Amino acid sequence: MGSFVKTVMIQFMLFSLFGMGWNTIGGYGGQVELGKAQYVGIGAYTVALMMVWWKVPFWISMPIGILIALGYSFIIGYPLFRLKGHYFAIATICTSLVLKDIFDNWNLVGAAKGIELPIHEHPDFLYMQFKSDTYYYYFIMGLFYIAIFYMNWFRKSKLGYQLRMIKDDEDAAESLGIDIRWCKIKAYSIASAFVAVGGGFMAVYNLYIDPASVMELSLSIKIALMAMLGGAASLWGPIIGAAFLVPLDRFLGSWLGGHKGLTGIDFMIYAMLIMIVSAYQPKGIWGIIEQFRKRGR
Amino acid sequence: MLVIDALLQGILIGLLFALVALGLTVIFGVMDIVNFAHGEFLMLGMYAVYWTNYFLNIDPLLALPVSAALGAVLGLASYYWLIRYLLRGPAIAQLFGTFGLMLFLQYLAMFLFSADYRMIDKGVLVGKSYSIGPFIFEGTKLAAGILSLISFAVVYYFLYKTKTGKALQATAINKEAATYMGIKTDRMNALAWVIGGGTVGIAGGLLVNFYYAYPMVGILFVMIAFACVALGGFGSIKGVFYAGILVGILEMMFPVFGQLIGSDFLGPHFKFTVVYLAYFIIVVVRPQGLFGWKN
Repeated sequence: MGSFVKTVMIQFMLFSLFGMGWNTIGGYGGQVELGKAQYVGIGAYTVALMMVWWKVPFWISMPIGILIALGYSFIIGYPLFRLKGHYFAIATICTSLVLKDIFDNWNLVGAAKGIELPIHEHPDFLYMQFKSDTYYYYFIMGLFYIAIFYMNWFRKSKLGYQLRMIKDDEDAAESLGIDIRWCKIKAYSIASAFVAVGGGFMAVYNLYIDPASVMELSLSIKIALMAMLGGAASLWGPIIGAAFLVPLDRFLGSWLGGHKGLTGIDFMIYAMLIMIVSAYQPKGIWGIIEQFRKRGR
Repeated sequence: MLVIDALLQGILIGLLFALVALGLTVIFGVMDIVNFAHGEFLMLGMYAVYWTNYFLNIDPLLALPVSAALGAVLGLASYYWLIRYLLRGPAIAQLFGTFGLMLFLQYLAMFLFSADYRMIDKGVLVGKSYSIGPFIFEGTKLAAGILSLISFAVVYYFLYKTKTGKALQATAINKEAATYMGIKTDRMNALAWVIGGGTVGIAGGLLVNFYYAYPMVGILFVMIAFACVALGGFGSIKGVFYAGILVGILEMMFPVFGQLIGSDFLGPHFKFTVVYLAYFIIVVVRPQGLFGWKN
């Protein structure tokens, strides 16, 4: 496998991981969540800062990052899920932007300059530093499979059914005794944990993080978009979305890189896709596949 | 003195914020859609005046009709080509649809005009300032405040005093009942988008006199507008006027407050963070806004 293909595959699996996380609350729960980048940031910064300050190995700092993301998501989810629909969507953007602004100006964590991870001379498994992409590739592949199995379990779990009920009809769900807010918070935290894992991986893989790369609004949008394009509220949707958009992104990037004056075309194509999908097939690519399958029967 | 100065500056910029948020609240009131692309209408309005000024040498204030017309056409086009289709789908698709429009316009501007920061440097009022008593006002900001107020008043008069405006209000309050009264709600929706686009186009044309135009400028102002709309109560027109001024004052007072207590942490780089936080706190604590009428 060429190194270019490997890079694309790593990106693909990373974004599938993000998308599957988003899918718990955004897809099954039907809440338009546009602030996932803050959890990428939390995961990435926890790993990076603990490594720089105290030389904590990745295998310890990543779980701590997950715990911080979980705690933070509970604290912020509690007021957040008083809101619904548009109010909720805008509020998630707000919380994410507030955190980014803080990190952008906080000198202790490198402010807008970001932080570089110390590079070890020899490959080090504890700190997840390798000479070749292959190890990262297998590591993210492991996470990817764990995520798929977990999501497969999740969608058939009690919480999964409760969430779909909430999505269909909140009042009916409430009358059946489902604690709506608590369910949403739980799903939100699961999503945050997924995304924080990916964030931690991004830190050790890129060896450099700054608020612009791990906390930008466009990252939140990309995460939600991939899941939405592939098909929200389905197991394979986020994966299909990532499989479609990540190579497209790469291809457009390398193709347009050679043509000056064409900057922005890639995002315009993205945006057209979003508009067409939301206008004609809000269920995404998976929705189209389902349609054909039903017709075939 | 510093405080009163900041207060007055805040009111001037707040009038402009109110005009930006006006379109958002009208659209939301009439059809329960949040237009994420609103800030991009503003951005294109800014560019419209900038380029008219650049190529035709027309004074930026006289070029305002160009940006207003562009905004109105954009609003109309997005209603007929996109929003009408989105209305059939679920709420999540509506959000993503206007989000897509936002991205599209952003990168269209990036493609056409590059990412450069552009600001008007020639014009009657550019670079001039007037002193009223002990206070000094920049001519462009003064003009922006006054013209925003006038535009707002015109739209307000239209919405509350004319027959068409009242029909629009009726559609906002109860769509079904309005249909029974013989109001063509589809046209009212389109009208809401024309008003929304037109007013924000004017706001953009005023803004470019003292603020840089660049493709990503929209997101900042749309967040401010969301805060104003939330503060005023989603869909409320009177509310958004007071809310705009309040947010303007908040934005201008915040750095002054930081300066007064000598804290670096309350510096100007956090003034928009405060706006985001304000939105979050308002919708959580008081979802109907300060003057709200719709839940």
